[in-house]
Amino acid sequence: MILKNKLATLSLATVLAVVPLTGCGSSSDNDNSSNQTNASTNASTNTNTSTNTSTNTSTDATTNNSSTTDNAATATKLTGDFEIQYFVGGYGDKWWKKVIADFKAANPDLNIKELAGPKINDQTKPRWIGGTPPDFVYIDGPGLNDRQMVEDGQLEDLTEWLKTAKNVDGELITDLLAQPAQQYDGKTYNIPLVLNSWGVFWDKALFKEKGWTEPQDFDQFLQVSDQIKGAGITPFIHTGKYPYYINGAILLPAIVSENNNDTSILQDMGNSKVEAFQKPAVLAALNKIVALRDKGFIDKASIQINHTDSQMLFLQHKDAFIPNGLWLPNEMSKDIPGGFDFGFIPSVTQGAGGKVVANTSTSTVAIAKNAKNKDAAKAFMQFIFSKAQASQWAELSGAPSNIKGDISASNAPSFVKDAAKYLTDANTVVIPTITFNADVDKAMQDATDALTIGKITPEEWVKRVTDVAAKVKQ
Amino acid sequence: MKSGSSKLQRNIFIASFIIPTFVFYCIFTVYPVIKGLYYSMFDWSGMSQNKEFVGFRNFKDLFHDPIIWKAIGNDYFLVVGKVIGIMVIATFFAVALTRFNFKLAGFLRSVYFIPNILSVVVIGVLWNFIYNPQIGFLNGFLSLFTKEKVSITWLGFTSHTIWMLLPPAIWAGIGFYMILLIAAIQNIPDSLYEASELEGAGQWQQFRKITVPLIWEQMKVSILNIMMTTLNGSFVIVWIMTQGGPDNSTQVMGSYLYQMAFQQYHFGYGASIGVLILVLSLITTVVLQRLLRHETVELG
Amino acid sequence: MNVGIRNPVAKGFFYLLLLIWAVSVIYPLIWTLLDSLKDNEQFFIHAPWSLPDFPLLWSNFSYVWSKYNFNTYFVNSLVVTVGSTLLGLILSAMTAYVLARYKFRGSNFLYLLYIASMMIPFILALIPLFFLMNSMHLINTKLGLILVYSSSLLAFGIFVLVGFFKSLPKELEESATIDGASHFGTFFRIMLPLSQPGLITVAIINVLNIWNEYVVGTIIVNDPTQYTLPIEIAVMQQEMQYRTEWGPLFAALLVTIVPVLIMYILFQRKIASGITAGAVK
Repeated sequence: MILKNKLATLSLATVLAVVPLTGCGSSSDNDNSSNQTNASTNASTNTNTSTNTSTNTSTDATTNNSSTTDNAATATKLTGDFEIQYFVGGYGDKWWKKVIADFKAANPDLNIKELAGPKINDQTKPRWIGGTPPDFVYIDGPGLNDRQMVEDGQLEDLTEWLKTAKNVDGELITDLLAQPAQQYDGKTYNIPLVLNSWGVFWDKALFKEKGWTEPQDFDQFLQVSDQIKGAGITPFIHTGKYPYYINGAILLPAIVSENNNDTSILQDMGNSKVEAFQKPAVLAALNKIVALRDKGFIDKASIQINHTDSQMLFLQHKDAFIPNGLWLPNEMSKDIPGGFDFGFIPSVTQGAGGKVVANTSTSTVAIAKNAKNKDAAKAFMQFIFSKAQASQWAELSGAPSNIKGDISASNAPSFVKDAAKYLTDANTVVIPTITFNADVDKAMQDATDALTIGKITPEEWVKRVTDVAAKVKQ
Repeated sequence: MKSGSSKLQRNIFIASFIIPTFVFYCIFTVYPVIKGLYYSMFDWSGMSQNKEFVGFRNFKDLFHDPIIWKAIGNDYFLVVGKVIGIMVIATFFAVALTRFNFKLAGFLRSVYFIPNILSVVVIGVLWNFIYNPQIGFLNGFLSLFTKEKVSITWLGFTSHTIWMLLPPAIWAGIGFYMILLIAAIQNIPDSLYEASELEGAGQWQQFRKITVPLIWEQMKVSILNIMMTTLNGSFVIVWIMTQGGPDNSTQVMGSYLYQMAFQQYHFGYGASIGVLILVLSLITTVVLQRLLRHETVELG
Repeated sequence: MNVGIRNPVAKGFFYLLLLIWAVSVIYPLIWTLLDSLKDNEQFFIHAPWSLPDFPLLWSNFSYVWSKYNFNTYFVNSLVVTVGSTLLGLILSAMTAYVLARYKFRGSNFLYLLYIASMMIPFILALIPLFFLMNSMHLINTKLGLILVYSSSLLAFGIFVLVGFFKSLPKELEESATIDGASHFGTFFRIMLPLSQPGLITVAIINVLNIWNEYVVGTIIVNDPTQYTLPIEIAVMQQEMQYRTEWGPLFAALLVTIVPVLIMYILFQRKIASGITAGAVK
């Protein structure tokens, strides 16, 4: 039943990607988006609609005034080449294809070039170094690190612009952001577009069938894991080849729980402060992983496999729990077996009655400092940060976006709505996005891997990571 | 007089044959490499427009980096493992396919070379599936002989995971060296073997007394070549199969260079690893040359 | 005459070893074919060596072929491989000949320089190389790939060909000189034809290297219309991490393997004799 719904949702999402959007979100948004879609399908004939939209966007870029009249249109038309770089990973590229097509239709004189793919970050790297980067970049996936890009002076300072920037609907962009843009020395360079939460997934249907309790805290998690193990299923699998999955979904929330729900410890860790890593909360959190390990809950295959392999094993019920991000169901949409129903909780490591800790991660968009077409890039930002896109992103990417907007009426998968509820619940501790220093991050990942296979002790974990942090701080 | 103009001709000839190649080579290989080496003196993220000159600091840091020592160890493990594995097996095949009068020799020789025509990417993907703990070939095969399903994580041991990269490397490398050695063996005059046969020498005797000494030159070239390609090139298969993990247990110098320069934004540091690879390759070549020359004398 | 192995037990044992190795080489190819016809579920339910269920999923191939433009990549690979092999061969043969047959100041040094450069880890050069190609407007061009690849082939070519030229008898040149041939004439009319086996060796090894190269390729070429086969496979392998399409992945592997395999089967005599000629001095 639920599954059928889900499948219907997913196939609907696919259909929506190719067929003009017919109806979602609030009525006013609806008008807007169907306009754009018309334009995208009849770009050559339906000039009326497209000039109309192009007026909005282009004038916004210069005057921040949304309600302009049609006749101002031609003066500030966006022209020239406009290059958009976006990484294609778990969220797929349906949303990007759609939104870019719409933007293209709205700006017919703009020559938009998409630089996209799972390896795009590596592929465009030489261009960033060479000072001829694409204009607009979506910072996600391996090979791009927003902190590093800021430090390297690759990104345009958007501080002033963002203060007054309005989207195509005339709303202030900053008002629409669920998570605010990260500050680097008081300056803003990148704007969060996607809001993700790390967490633990399971199959509700399986749990129901076996009579297992869906865990709310660490004790319950251990208890049910014992039951699961008794039933001949391995309780827990993670992506050992990329240990940031287990760090993001287990270790970091556990540290916050152990630190009396105070997230400042993670911020300090993000700033590579040595003392932060030496706090007892870190050790206590590590010991929770050790507990999982010593009870034999962790699938031994974890250590050598990548995310899709571990996710396949999870979907095949070889393992009951998997730490992952909200993109998981979308990423695996083709391989979800019949009857599978995703259960999700942002954290399992809290004590009984403790608050749920949601470790969020945002993926941001930015404009290159050396961009050739900054006007188009800014107009594109104004185009994508609209309420209509909140629903559209949720539907096409199967994950929450960072744009505030009621998605309850949308066709987004139910677990996305659940997750969105968690993230807005007052009883949830929300960890703001933290980008670790790349060296510290790597050290933490290596050390956690070593910990899960019993190669090192928690104390050695702390020692290793503090050594690296100290070196970074120098 | 005549010698003067012929000398000029000679010089023109030499110059016209040497210089174009050299210039071309300098532009597309020497210059980028030297530039790369030069960056080892800088603190540079690889992305930024600013580079800070730090002298030899990267090398000092390198010396105190526990991972680089692990990587050097792994590199030499692979060198030794590959040299022994490839040379023993390739020599055996070469001898077997030339001296044993096997009917299928020609066919087998063609087959054995196949891994050498495959891209490393293909080899890496294939072997990842062989090693896959759940759906992999190796565990599936072993499970045939056990009651319980075997679920060994071949690429996830607490230590010595680097051992698991040896089989793909050897598997992929044998064909080429085998062909090289076959060629050398075929070049040995039959009369030598016939003479020793008359003296009653068996295959093993012939192998030791005739084959090895006479193909030693090719074996030496093979060993040097294996060493160099391993130190310079093993990072590709490492990167495809394990990315140096888990916990750096399969890190080699090349993969660590790649990790540092392109993933952790320390291009200068990565460049200093490159210098290290270069120095170690040179030293190893000289040492190996000495060792192998010594051997020849003994055998001769 | 060679009598082979006399002891039948030993002979049987050696034969067995050889056959096992042959299986270990051929089987992965068959395995690739079988797995390219499966869907994801079959990977889990059946043993890795099981035959694919019916109906066979030949669609995996058409999927890979239509989604990823393999014919374009094939042509690109061909152009780049042939171009860089030829250029590399000509340049290295010229230098190798002079280094082998003429003594002049710095000749030893030059030779050592080329040889030593074989030990340089080439990854170091990637970023500076990018800048260089960028300033010469050779990024995303096959010509750029050809220039870099052929340059990277020089050292090896010189190394092998110097040895080869040295092995040719000195009398050849002397008689040529007596006949009044110039240096150029001697090289092009006498030495080059004679060194054909050596050139073939170098060419074959270069073709194999270039055909499979992708590290440099991914840096210099970002434009999908200019991809070579290995670049595409590397990109695909990355994409597979987000798609779990094992069947299509194996289909793609097979699509890359088959052309080289056909080339190998067609030219294998040349390849074997090429390597043979190079090895025997």
